[in-house]
Amino acid sequence: MSNKVAVLMRRAPYGSVYTAEGFRSMMGIGVFEMDVRVIFVDDGVYALVKGQDPSALDMKSLGDGFPMLPDFEVTKFYVHDLSLAERGLTKDDLVLVLSRSEGMGVEVVDSATIARLLTESGAVLPF
Amino acid sequence: MKIGVLVLEGPYQHQAADSAYHFIQAALARGHEIVGVFLYTDAVNNANRFIKPPGERNLAQMWDELGAQGINIVACTACAKFRGLTKDLAVDHVRLSGLGSLAEFIQAADRFVTFGD
Repeated sequence: MSNKVAVLMRRAPYGSVYTAEGFRSMMGIGVFEMDVRVIFVDDGVYALVKGQDPSALDMKSLGDGFPMLPDFEVTKFYVHDLSLAERGLTKDDLVLVLSRSEGMGVEVVDSATIARLLTESGAVLPF
Repeated sequence: MKIGVLVLEGPYQHQAADSAYHFIQAALARGHEIVGVFLYTDAVNNANRFIKPPGERNLAQMWDELGAQGINIVACTACAKFRGLTKDLAVDHVRLSGLGSLAEFIQAADRFVTFGD
């Protein structure tokens, strides 16, 4: 099937293991010549927020980890506009904007685009 | 059709593992091929050979029997380490392996189905 794989981040970055494992799954499968796109919706958008400090939870910041994904051939990031707006966030609040100069941008997209991205993906891994 | 399966939840706490199991049985009954089942995160606990649920279905045994039929079932090695599930503790027909197996199943499948919360 299509080698496009969408990793769908739906949940807040801490409090459960899903976002961290979604992140790990991308690194695991990105190196196998699969076209991985990462889609952040609902509370998943919080994973990209700047200045995360989960040290009190004995966790590592996930936001800091995303800019290293290009090393694993993962470079396509899409954030749902409505999910951001519902949480009072804008693109300026997000980590990936800092890495634009390295060819890794985060694209804020609407619901129809999210739907298209999911439809054209051979597999969707929902976390 | 070739189908790959990802399971994200452990046994008994959620319906996901049961649903995955029954989905696979139904798919096989209709002549589809299961290219692989990847047990990720808490789902690795499905492979614990010491699962002995009093008076209820034994999910570990169900997965083991499915594996014995030749279905390729893999539990994530790293997730297993986090949960203390060593090779010796796993049922005979579930193998511990890395995320490369997940990538392999995705590539081999016509459809890839996830069961989670």
